[in-house]
Amino acid sequence: MKRVTCSGCSLLCDDIIVKSDGLFVSEVIGACLKGKERFDQVNAKNRITHPMIRKDGELKEVSWDVAAKKAVEIIKKSSNPLLYGFSNVTSEAQEAGIKLAQKIDGFIDSNASICQGKFLNKAKNHGINLTTITEIINKGDLIILWGANPAETIPRLLNKVLFSRGKFRMTGREIKTLVIIDPIKTASFRVMGVRDLPLIVEPNKDIDLIRMLKEECCSADSNPFEGVAGVDKGDLKRLLLHLTGAENGVIILGQGVIQPHPDYDLVEELLELLQMINERQEKGRISLLLMGGHFNMAGFDHVALSSFGVFGKLEFKCNQLVKTEDTLVSKIQKEDFDCSIIVGTDPISHFPFSLSSKLAQKPLILIDNHSTATSYIAEVVLPTSITGIESGGLAYRLDQVPIELNKIINPPNNLPSDEELLNQLYELSNSEGSE
Amino acid sequence: MEFLLNSMRKIDNDQVKEHAFGTEQSLEENLAVCFINPKDFEKLNLVTNLHLKISNNKKHVIVKVEKDDNVHDGTIVMPVSIWSNRLSEVQNNELLYKNIVVNVEATRDPITKFKEIIQELRVKK
Repeated sequence: MKRVTCSGCSLLCDDIIVKSDGLFVSEVIGACLKGKERFDQVNAKNRITHPMIRKDGELKEVSWDVAAKKAVEIIKKSSNPLLYGFSNVTSEAQEAGIKLAQKIDGFIDSNASICQGKFLNKAKNHGINLTTITEIINKGDLIILWGANPAETIPRLLNKVLFSRGKFRMTGREIKTLVIIDPIKTASFRVMGVRDLPLIVEPNKDIDLIRMLKEECCSADSNPFEGVAGVDKGDLKRLLLHLTGAENGVIILGQGVIQPHPDYDLVEELLELLQMINERQEKGRISLLLMGGHFNMAGFDHVALSSFGVFGKLEFKCNQLVKTEDTLVSKIQKEDFDCSIIVGTDPISHFPFSLSSKLAQKPLILIDNHSTATSYIAEVVLPTSITGIESGGLAYRLDQVPIELNKIINPPNNLPSDEELLNQLYELSNSEGSE
Repeated sequence: MEFLLNSMRKIDNDQVKEHAFGTEQSLEENLAVCFINPKDFEKLNLVTNLHLKISNNKKHVIVKVEKDDNVHDGTIVMPVSIWSNRLSEVQNNELLYKNIVVNVEATRDPITKFKEIIQELRVKK
């Protein structure tokens, strides 16, 4: 029996027990459904265990040498490669990806740029604290899920932050109030108790709620005259009391809040509200926790920041970092790339058709451990070991805390880790000279 | 009829799980699906063997439809997948997955096959 960290999602639960003889994992104790699935992926029937290249429209298994040669051929022909993904790999692999991007003059970005990464800079500009899981467990008294459904995306998050008994407050669930703000009554609503506050807002009306809260926060008595966005005035008053009275409140933000809108910036408006509340608060504060699905979604920004001093996307020309106004989306939309290297993600499923169809038009190299919609498009598929089970490394939890992942068993066919494979591509691009 | 489409991750309709462990059939079974409020189900004169054709101004997709009390009337929920993303959009260089205006109608046509979508993506322009 061994205690390990699960890489099933960005919560990186470090209390999972596995029974293993070093060859197989025979039992997993304490993991959620997503965690169990992660361990089951080792023997998944759609696991990719051999490199493949596309011949006559079909992917065919080939030797590593043939696949690597094909991948390097695509890279060498390219003058404007796009590297994307990197949130389901370790930070060592992220670093190797950035090194490769620098070598081949590419544009590199991670899934975070279309997810939680959007918040980071904005939160910093408003002076809003990002909190940690431990802080919420130990001190939290108000948890607000806004456009977030952790019950189905990060299943153990609520167990940890809501039901755990804190160190500094000798109480747990009974003093923690849960507020959920969502247009859909998601699975997360099922954990609500009588003193919690479920708020079903009308679709696309979050902005009205935020603006009303901002107005009320400015007034002395905070007694809303009427309801807004489907929330009645009684619930609005309760929400205001919770927001302004919490000692250690946290808003857990999900994808629902970061959606773009032509007329306003919902994230900015929400951050302004939090800033106002925190200025008005005398004894407490509200902080943020950003939801991200992939196990190391938070890592790429840390690696980019420590390597080049910038958050997120990096573009290289003549092996030097250049300043760019482009984003991943604008690059793909303008078709400003001539091949793509996709690492541990499935953009063909995740992106709108208008983008995925453009990705599909250019040669695509996929580095992943199981079949996805992207593998149906890829010219070259290079399989790797499953991080956190067949290889180890560092990952950043959703609250930006670094956690070490360990190798438990050997991968099939001695598959390389993502880091090893990316370093191999770097060496091959390097050693075969400039053409 | 006009609806607002929201795509969201659902643990029982999870594309990672389906791609890793499933078949093309289970992929279509679990991901080519949408959820609507029972009131809307009635308004659209749907019955269980009919499908829903959901369209924006560029693309459409045909999926199975299920009733769900938890979905706000006037909205549709789809699990995040290659099907829902035929209708998601790019707005100001950002990806729009929620509150997308779509038109819906009941249809007897079969659901959009995974292979059809892949084939359409592969066609070189």
